[in-house]
Amino acid sequence: MAENGESSGPPRPSRGPAAAQGSAAAPAEPKIIKVTVKTPKEKEEFAVPENSSVQQFKEAISKRFKSQTDQLVLIFAGKILKDQDTLIQHGIHDGLTVHLVIKSQNRPQGQSTQPSNAAGTNATSASTPRSNSTPISTNSNPFGLGSLGGLAGLSSLGLSSTNFSELQSQMQQQLMASPEMMIQIMENPFVQSMLSNPDLMRQLIMANPQMQQLIQRNPEISHLLNNPDIMRQTLEIARNPAMMQEMMRNQDLALSNLESIPGGYNALRRMYTDIQEPMLNAAQEQFGGNPFASVGSSSSSGEGTQPSRTENRDPLPNPWAPPPATQSSATTSTTTSTGSGSGNSSSNATGNTVAAANYVASIFSTPGMQSLLQQITENPQLIQNMLSAPYMRSMMQSLSQNPDLAAQMQNPDTLSAMSNPRAMQALMQIQQGLQTLATEAPGLIPSFTPGVGAPGSTGSGGPTGPTVSSAAPSETTSPTSESGPNQQFIQQMVQALAGANAPQLPNPEVRFQQQLEQLNAMGFLNREANLQALIATGGDINAAIERLLGSQPS
Amino acid sequence: MAATTGSGVKVPGNFRLLEELEGGQKGIGDGTVSWGLEDDEDMTLTKWTGMIIGPPRTIYENRIYSLKIECGPKYPEAPPFVRFVTKINMNGVNSSNGVVDPRAISVLAKWQNSYSIKVVLQELRRLMMSKENMKLPQPPEGQCYSN
Repeated sequence: MAENGESSGPPRPSRGPAAAQGSAAAPAEPKIIKVTVKTPKEKEEFAVPENSSVQQFKEAISKRFKSQTDQLVLIFAGKILKDQDTLIQHGIHDGLTVHLVIKSQNRPQGQSTQPSNAAGTNATSASTPRSNSTPISTNSNPFGLGSLGGLAGLSSLGLSSTNFSELQSQMQQQLMASPEMMIQIMENPFVQSMLSNPDLMRQLIMANPQMQQLIQRNPEISHLLNNPDIMRQTLEIARNPAMMQEMMRNQDLALSNLESIPGGYNALRRMYTDIQEPMLNAAQEQFGGNPFASVGSSSSSGEGTQPSRTENRDPLPNPWAPPPATQSSATTSTTTSTGSGSGNSSSNATGNTVAAANYVASIFSTPGMQSLLQQITENPQLIQNMLSAPYMRSMMQSLSQNPDLAAQMQNPDTLSAMSNPRAMQALMQIQQGLQTLATEAPGLIPSFTPGVGAPGSTGSGGPTGPTVSSAAPSETTSPTSESGPNQQFIQQMVQALAGANAPQLPNPEVRFQQQLEQLNAMGFLNREANLQALIATGGDINAAIERLLGSQPS
Repeated sequence: MAATTGSGVKVPGNFRLLEELEGGQKGIGDGTVSWGLEDDEDMTLTKWTGMIIGPPRTIYENRIYSLKIECGPKYPEAPPFVRFVTKINMNGVNSSNGVVDPRAISVLAKWQNSYSIKVVLQELRRLMMSKENMKLPQPPEGQCYSN
């Protein structure tokens, strides 16, 4: 009887003498025993009748620990105490300690998440009507994906948070991780219709207080938001995940290329901190540095920087023009920021963001562009000059009037021409020549069509006026082989350029003399290619070698 | 004492285990592990159950893991045989039957007779918090190994 009454023999030694007597007495009277209940954080003592059940014990505990009984799990001697057991059954006696675990609601086992989950596991269409109200009502939605987050949050599959915003954020995280889910959601017609309503989207975006803050700090963003064209394109892009991905890739590619030039990384960083970061922050911390979010949620900003980049590039194959707009958004000089603001607004005039975005990267990746960027970063004053140049506006306007120009920009010839430093040099020479011509022979200009598509023909020789003018007629022959729009575009460009005064590109050959020799010694005999590679990498031999090796098959 | 304890026990040899049992019942330690005899009538003190409360900020958080521990005749000179009852995904634990590989868990591999069941449980819990384990995806809660 003693052993039956006691938990087992072993505890006996500690209270051997008492055991024999106590055990006899215990079953008879409901002795009050003191049991310590210990959680990882706290310890409380409970006085309960010895013969109480675990359930009763839990009730007492729940009051003290302010939880519900079903949240409590009691453990004694390595066993979980079930409600229908009694304390005696487990041998819980006076002075012993029972471990307590209070189950919080984080884990899926929380029943309170069931209602939202149940609603979520229904088809998203069923939950979308509900989601309609929620995104607008909840201000904490990250915009863009906020609406989707609302939807997706309701369609959360087994996410275990009761807190709606937590649910949402978890869902968004899942979304980020799962493009398939994203695609599914995107394909939901309700989502699409909502997305295609720019007013609604703008409302959603504006409703986010962080966004509002951001707008205050960065008025350009409000320009973006208020421009229906941009919004529409943004939404289109957002609607099409494939396109979004592609844009993302392009953007990433462009950015990574930017990084590779000496000054470019700083510019990138500034660009990021000034524009993207606040946008991303506004889109809530989960999206942190998530590039996907930067397109999806702050797609306006992505578009914003891109239009400023692309639009300025469209009208001007002139390598300086596009990056100034980009850099202006990135560099900290105040004038540039106003410049980019104006650049944005003027860029908004054109509707080419989407198409532009696609070849943004390709343009960015041209070594000519990169060398230009380098120049830009070296000379901030240049940007200012560039921006203030009235010709830029005219170029943009001309581009907007001539959509062919945009198409033409994608012409690989143009790109290859731009990538050739000598071509750019030639352009500069042309410019100067035009200036001279303008003063000396105004009548000559309108019929002047220098060929951008003639890369090396002009050579990198002396930038004198006569040389240019003599080169010019020779160039007129080359563009005849090109397409009409090309000529037109070039003409416009040159005319605009004629009015400007551009600084001279320092001769890359001189700068990279040493590196060229090294490359030669290594066996890279193509001097032109070496030069291009060196320019692209800013004199970094190793990177140049990689470029050369990478470009050999092409 | 022995007479009142009951039928022919081998108890006297296992003072260590007795102490451990007492410790388990008194809940010494930080309350994150618990252990006790599987069967209170077990006079051999060989079969034990243990409980580990999943450490916070890990994937094991808020889960309670039940274990079976067998202390062989050579205990404490030889390490006990430990097996998870609750399904768990963790390095060193056989995913099909929950057996803890003694070579993978340092306290078992380098067992010393000063170690105890408490030490084993606490070590397993500590391993749950290690970087390699703390994020391993876990099976749904409440599943047990079939054996």
